[in-house]
Amino acid sequence: MATTSPLGIDLDHYKWGFRDPERYVFKARKGLDREIVEEISHMKSEPDWMRAIRLHALEHFLKRPTPKWGANLDQIDFNDIYYYLKPTDGKGRTWDDVPADIKRTFDRLGIPEAEKKFLAGVGAQYESESVYHNLKEEWERLGVIFLDTDSALREHPDIVREYFGTVVPPEDNKLAALNTAVWSGGSFVYVPEGVKVDIPLQAYFRINAEKAGQFERTLIICEPGSYVHYVEGCTAPIYTTDSLHSAVVEIIVKEGARCRYTTIQNWSKNVYNLVTKRAVAYRDATMEWVDGNLGSKVTMKYPSVYMVEPGARAEILSVAFAGAGQHQDPGGKVIHAAPYTQSSVVSKSIAKDGGRAGYRGLVKVYPGARGSRCAVRCDALILDERSRSDTYPYMEIDEQDVSITHEATVSKVSDEQLFYLMSRGIKEDEAMNMIVRGFIEPIVKELPLEYAVELNRLIALEMEGSVG
Amino acid sequence: MGQHLTATAAPLAFSRSAVQRRSEALGEPAWALQRRLKAWEAFERLPAPSVTHPEEWRRTDISGLELGMLTLPADGPVESPPAFFGPVAREGAERGGLLTFLDGRPVVDGGRLGEEAARAGVLFTDLASAVRAEPDLVRDHLFSLAPPDEHRFRALHAALYSGGTFLYVPRGVEVALPLVTQAWLGTPAGAVFPHTLVVADEGSAVTLVELFGSYPEGPRALASGVVELFLRDGAQVRYMLVQEWGAPVWEVGSLIRARLGRDASLRSLVAALGGGLVKLDVESHLEGPGASSEMLGLYFGADRQHIDVHTLQEHRAPHTTSDLLYRGAVKDAARSVFAGLIRVHHGAQKTNAFQANRNLILSEGARADSIPKLEIMANDLRCTHGSATSRLDEEHIFYLMSRGLTRQQATFMIVEGFFADLFDRTPIPRLRGYLQARVAEKMI
Repeated sequence: MATTSPLGIDLDHYKWGFRDPERYVFKARKGLDREIVEEISHMKSEPDWMRAIRLHALEHFLKRPTPKWGANLDQIDFNDIYYYLKPTDGKGRTWDDVPADIKRTFDRLGIPEAEKKFLAGVGAQYESESVYHNLKEEWERLGVIFLDTDSALREHPDIVREYFGTVVPPEDNKLAALNTAVWSGGSFVYVPEGVKVDIPLQAYFRINAEKAGQFERTLIICEPGSYVHYVEGCTAPIYTTDSLHSAVVEIIVKEGARCRYTTIQNWSKNVYNLVTKRAVAYRDATMEWVDGNLGSKVTMKYPSVYMVEPGARAEILSVAFAGAGQHQDPGGKVIHAAPYTQSSVVSKSIAKDGGRAGYRGLVKVYPGARGSRCAVRCDALILDERSRSDTYPYMEIDEQDVSITHEATVSKVSDEQLFYLMSRGIKEDEAMNMIVRGFIEPIVKELPLEYAVELNRLIALEMEGSVG
Repeated sequence: MGQHLTATAAPLAFSRSAVQRRSEALGEPAWALQRRLKAWEAFERLPAPSVTHPEEWRRTDISGLELGMLTLPADGPVESPPAFFGPVAREGAERGGLLTFLDGRPVVDGGRLGEEAARAGVLFTDLASAVRAEPDLVRDHLFSLAPPDEHRFRALHAALYSGGTFLYVPRGVEVALPLVTQAWLGTPAGAVFPHTLVVADEGSAVTLVELFGSYPEGPRALASGVVELFLRDGAQVRYMLVQEWGAPVWEVGSLIRARLGRDASLRSLVAALGGGLVKLDVESHLEGPGASSEMLGLYFGADRQHIDVHTLQEHRAPHTTSDLLYRGAVKDAARSVFAGLIRVHHGAQKTNAFQANRNLILSEGARADSIPKLEIMANDLRCTHGSATSRLDEEHIFYLMSRGLTRQQATFMIVEGFFADLFDRTPIPRLRGYLQARVAEKMI
């Protein structure tokens, strides 16, 4: 009998006989093929339907060409990557192997010792247990589920099965297909109807459960009338020798619910950060993305919100900082597919030392989405003549009863501004710093306090030596 | 090759021998024929653009264009004086010269250049005559701004161009009155490739108005034109193009490209009103320090019209200025696409670049896409762009109706107000009324 998964994938098509588990030994090797994917699924003892989705996604990944737009991805060799390492693998690295600039940044940001080691990928455990424990009890009392996605698949297979891949289908794009085929880790959040979670959920809290991985898969479900603020990543640099980070985040915000998702990404500067983030917002629901990009070699990330029922709202705040050798290509997409939906996008990008930062976005208004409103504002600051800023906003308006605006400016730090501050006794580099901080202020003020403080420190650090 | 799109196999009207025949009929020198044949090779080699590739063609579907259904009009001058254009071209209008074309063929006594300008050495003639009479001047400039291998339609144009204006203004000469070109497409299912070449020498000043129109209904026709504007150091050019093709005409792969030298100044207005489908690029390349370009655009789509305009403000030198404003309205089932790019190259410091696109959607079912892009590689500059898309504001209509206007009058007034700042900035103030009337016609 043919069985199909929730995504309409023919499970039989991917059936295979399990090999004798006794003789089965997983050997980490580079490259990606059907065997690796089957091994990943087997190692995790996953249900058949998940294995089928993985294999389906793999087929799609292999078929699909590497995107030719945006940043240059030609240097990624998909065959030169370990797609799965057992949690015990890769721990052979020592503190001494961690580059000095990363250590220095840890110190400057004031990261505790244990945390430093974890972030650098050399510590096995990060002791947040005591804080985490109390919060966990509170959440459990409310019925909130907050797990890593692997555990969620074991403990709540029905919920995962119902929503997995429905917002970002495996066929969506090449990198999403890759993630779907080999995903590991990530967060699973389920907020029951009417529950409002006061304290932001941070990936930090359960960071000891499973390492924040290369191919994270995050799924957040907000039942009607609920609220949650999820915080991914941290301002501290995450040091990894892996050259590719390809995550998928799927969020379902049901009627009247509100979800805020905050990321401050600071991958080490060898990483290609190619992430698919998407949310669906139902009637009167609100989805907010706060997205900061400081690290990585290349980032292509366009958090999107599909507003599919009347009254849905979307807000995207994006900040990007590109220094030497970096290409930040972030942005956002807002899709108005129902009447009276509202969205706002604010992007701030800064480029210096030959870096390239920008905004790439889409505003799409479908026919019938009457009364929709959208405002996009992009500001760019270029700190020297070798750096570059790009703005690529796409607006596709299929409905007459709408109001859509887009504004963008590109400017430099003006001599007048600098002169004014310096005439008040502020040194040039500090003055420059203040101006840049003022520039990104509208986004920083949306961050939880400790993140705002760290982000400001980090910007100050990145700005060092920018005045010659 | 697997190119299944329009005209992989060259249709009868378009062939290597047709290229040779045209060159011969126009009495061209050998170099001109060689260039045409090279372009023809490029046409045969290049893939047809489609909605999947490249990006610039994604929003305009030309798969309905069958080159095999088109005919190439004959060459050589025509006698009949056509009477198809309005007040601008009519006798008595204030102008410094007039050229008239029918299906790319110059009309005998279709116009002349004023005596004063002629004495000053200004050349204002049809391009084919210029190729014969001024070979060096033409040879150095023709297609140097618009390389034939840019895409398939550019190549087809370069192989088969005929008709169009040649204008040369010598150093320091200022032509006071506007020069006017009018071109009509009258052959059913005809394909025309008008080419305008303007060389404004150092410190010169001139105004050129070009009007294009065609028969209003009938079988599908094709227009694919190129305008090359050379503004040498300190030249001042005002250029205005009004396109009122009939619904049968598809204007595909057309280009207006200007190169500006030091302190040169271009003020341009492009009005795209007609045509069933329009795919047009408008570009200013600011290559000399101090150059400035004003780029105004007006488009109005009705019925099932599809108007796709890509603009480029290319800043390659410091202290350059560009200021772009494109306003468009769409009604019925029309669709418009505006995609504008400001690119500021390394070293183009102290640049001022502005880009604004405003769209007014007048009916349900109409659609407007807007893609205002920036690529900035310098830091000491001022660059902004803005885009807004909105519909008729019911409150405004209510207000006007409460003052005794009918709904139609109120709508007229609002649309006219929407375009008012473009009319105000029209490089040739006398043409303001003409444009207003054209817009009013579209409203009916």
